[in-house]
Amino acid sequence: MTATLATPLAEPVNDWARLAAKARSRRRTTNVLLYGFLALGALPILVPYLWLFTVAMSGRTGASTTVLWRTLAVLIPALFIWSMLRLGMEPGRRLRLIEIGLAIVAVALLVVLTGPYLHLDNWRFLWNPDIADALKGVSGIGAKFPSVWTAFWNSLFLAFVQMTIVVTVATLAGYYLSRFDFPGRSGYMKGLLVLHAFPAMTLIIPIFLIIYWIGLLDTLAGVILVIAALELPFAIFVMKGFFDAVPWDIEMSAMTDGASRRQAFRLVVLPQVRIGMLAIGIFAFLRGWEEYVFVRTLLLQKQNWTMSLYLFWMREDVMGTDYAMVSAMGVFYVLPSILLYAFTQKYLTQMTIGGIKG
Amino acid sequence: MAVIELNGVTKRWGDVVAVEPTDLRIENGEFVAILGPSGCGKSTTLFMLAGIYAPSAGQIRFDGAVVNEVEARDRNVGIVFQSYALYPNMTARANIHFPLRFKSVRPEEAARRVEAMAALVQVGELLDRRPSEMSGGQQQRVALARALVKEPGLLLLDEPLSNLDASLRLTMRGEIRRLQRRLGVTTILVTHDQIEATTMADRIICMSKGRIEQIGTADALYHHPDSVFVAGFIGSPPINLISGDAANGGLRVGEVGLPFVGAAPGKVTLGIRPEAVRLGEAGHAARIGDLEPHGRETIYHLDTPFGPLRALEAGAVARFRVGDQVKIDVERALVFDAGGRRLGDTIPPRPA
Repeated sequence: MTATLATPLAEPVNDWARLAAKARSRRRTTNVLLYGFLALGALPILVPYLWLFTVAMSGRTGASTTVLWRTLAVLIPALFIWSMLRLGMEPGRRLRLIEIGLAIVAVALLVVLTGPYLHLDNWRFLWNPDIADALKGVSGIGAKFPSVWTAFWNSLFLAFVQMTIVVTVATLAGYYLSRFDFPGRSGYMKGLLVLHAFPAMTLIIPIFLIIYWIGLLDTLAGVILVIAALELPFAIFVMKGFFDAVPWDIEMSAMTDGASRRQAFRLVVLPQVRIGMLAIGIFAFLRGWEEYVFVRTLLLQKQNWTMSLYLFWMREDVMGTDYAMVSAMGVFYVLPSILLYAFTQKYLTQMTIGGIKG
Repeated sequence: MAVIELNGVTKRWGDVVAVEPTDLRIENGEFVAILGPSGCGKSTTLFMLAGIYAPSAGQIRFDGAVVNEVEARDRNVGIVFQSYALYPNMTARANIHFPLRFKSVRPEEAARRVEAMAALVQVGELLDRRPSEMSGGQQQRVALARALVKEPGLLLLDEPLSNLDASLRLTMRGEIRRLQRRLGVTTILVTHDQIEATTMADRIICMSKGRIEQIGTADALYHHPDSVFVAGFIGSPPINLISGDAANGGLRVGEVGLPFVGAAPGKVTLGIRPEAVRLGEAGHAARIGDLEPHGRETIYHLDTPFGPLRALEAGAVARFRVGDQVKIDVERALVFDAGGRRLGDTIPPRPA
């Protein structure tokens, strides 16, 4: 009995280290499980992109599947080892060196295992518009394909002009809705919401007829107007939210400082909503860049093809589709979007759609 | 630099009257405070003077000329907002320079003026910072410099100190006052803080519910308030307001009868300043219910024949303790009628 009483209830102080180690290992286990789960969830999203890329780089040699599996066989263990290193080691010079070593090994393995199968043959559409000749069949569109660069510039033009219209109109309309009261304002706001919720596909026949009657069928201008009109309701709503967040004081101050309303808008208010303009601009650009349904409906001539139409005809129009080239075209098509996101995601994540006041 | 006159100026928002017809004259170079609780129409009045709101009726005159229809940007008014309203995308220098962009000032002259004004408000070394990189007090100074750089005829200050901490508020109060004296610019300060109004302004306009209650110096408002509202709003600790009845040529408050001629029979309100209650050896019997030591003074909460009273006594050490029986003497009491207008003063009799 005396022995048990002599033992203190609290653990001795030198066990703090053990407790800290326990907390560390628990934190580490949580991290491993969390990252493992997230990685698993990301796999179905990332593998198709990887597949697209490997097929584009190695297709039509009969080895594209081999390349995909070998790439995965290198990448997945490498990523696994890397995350284990990150979780298991303290950050420092040693970890950095091991990481660099791991990267070199992984790249070397990739080169050795898949290098012999890689080629740029599928990308020939970039410099040789006469792709149909190289294919097994004969072009069904009855003539040579246009250069992919025609489609590229068309898409770029469409996306850019559409973006300019959307940003300009949405900014002005958002400001007006945010600052001015006018009869029917709340009805207008509700209308915007309904328009945004309205499925645009159901409008496709009336839109075709309208565009035909006003003589814009088979012109890029027609498509630009249609897409801009469909993009505007949401963009206006976003911009109104941004303007709502700019305090009145600043504008009043500018006006007592001697600025006209327009000068106050340009010099003081507009710089506060740059992020919003950037955001709706990027979304509008991507919408124009990726547009398929309306360009398919409203554009007929080859000279007016956009990237999506080019991709469509490349797949559709030849007997025996060259999937490797379609994949290469797909990579070429998606690249600008990815670059745009990569450079602007910093700003896009700052975007919150401001409080919606009546 | 400008004489400001309001003739029957009114502001209505739909059916709501924000400012009832107001007549007012502010002399050249005067520093006037508009004091009142939030929602009393003081900021609306200020914005009407600035030209941001148009009055619903009446005339605003600057140096005799009606300016109702003159746009805000042409009124030559400088304004400092409660939020400072600095332009976040511009440096302090660009902020202060902003009003000069719309005047025909040569660039080098403008730059010189910006520097001089910044030096005057002591932000000379902060000119290349953005508002987000400055403290509240520094932003306040930049806002002041921006309002003053174009040499306005009228300077409007909308609760300029309410976002500052207590010690900075004290400093800025003095600085704004000194600056105003030095530049001699007609200034209107809007505030809900009586200390700001009484310490800074030459005259105070006390407003309540869209109406001017009283215009006068801090002294007049404190000692000779026209209404219960003014008496209650000015003074810290606040005045004791006790309701009583008027009858037979006298007043009855609690257990005490007071001589007073001129009150119609009915309800009255008695106002007694805390420092008018003297604690001593003679007078009405009272009991110390509670006390608050404030360092250089002590506030006693008393149970008296008048009812509960606050008494203020100078002195670092409290003379009494909670529960002590004392005698009190009231030096002066203000008498207000049922509608809150002041009828006059009285001296409560000292019991034998």
